[in-house]
Amino acid sequence: MQLADVLAIVMLLVGVAAFVMGGLALSRASDLEAFYWLVVGLAGVRSSVQTMRPSNT
Amino acid sequence: MRDGPPPPPRPRPRVADLGASAQAAIPAFYAWGVTVAPAAWGKGVSPFAKGFAILGVVLVGAATLVERDRPRLARPLSVWGLAVTSVIVWLLAGPTSVAGRGDVLIGLLGALGWLLFAFASSAPPLRRQVLAPARISAGPRLRPRVEIPRFDALYVLFGVSAAIGLQAVGWRVSSPERAMLVRLVMLAAGLAVLGAATDLAVSRHAPRPLARSSRRIRRALPLVLFLAAVTVTGAVFAFVR
Repeated sequence: MQLADVLAIVMLLVGVAAFVMGGLALSRASDLEAFYWLVVGLAGVRSSVQTMRPSNT
Repeated sequence: MRDGPPPPPRPRPRVADLGASAQAAIPAFYAWGVTVAPAAWGKGVSPFAKGFAILGVVLVGAATLVERDRPRLARPLSVWGLAVTSVIVWLLAGPTSVAGRGDVLIGLLGALGWLLFAFASSAPPLRRQVLAPARISAGPRLRPRVEIPRFDALYVLFGVSAAIGLQAVGWRVSSPERAMLVRLVMLAAGLAVLGAATDLAVSRHAPRPLARSSRRIRRALPLVLFLAAVTVTGAVFAFVR
């Protein structure tokens, strides 16, 4: 397992945790906080996928 | 001392060998979890309600245990046991219960659970097909064309677990519009996580080789830096506020 694989898994975990925080904030009607956490979650999930793309794309 | 061949091993029990009450236990637990448990463990509900709620689950479990020896007793024990204890719980919980709050989504999910329980309890148990062994052709075991690589199941299992876990967030929202928004956002988040997890699993054995580790890290660096910047900004904002 390479460092990039570890980074991908960590970023996915960060994304999941941020989505949970975003859902909790949305339940409390803290919209700004929810938006913040959902952006963090999206960035985490997206960066996780970015690290696993094939070589020539 | 008896001589002779040892007795054949007892076949492992299968789902198809279970009776109707055992097969109905899963929708029973689902219906109980959606409609009875939230009512029994609500604020200010009598401890008797919790006791009857637990009794309902115990009766369903007991029905599955006695079904093999006393099949005529198992079905009434499961159906009437759960139904009567649930009604008592709802009466004790009063208007604060799930049914009393008028939550449409929970009501629909609960009604679906009870419908499945009723259907599974009334339907005959699914038996193993008697003709199935005759259809099996003798010969060496077939080899799969493609071997599933190791750890792929772990990736998918994580994605599915995370997607299901995200659905547990935000079930205590009082406003229906807000509750619907939370459900939609969590559904989208769950799909995104599931898609990312399967992407990670598939990319490990893609036809084109992965780039070198350093190049892959460099490619993800802008998003990682963005994430770090947003995290620092959020921490500063929370500290100042």
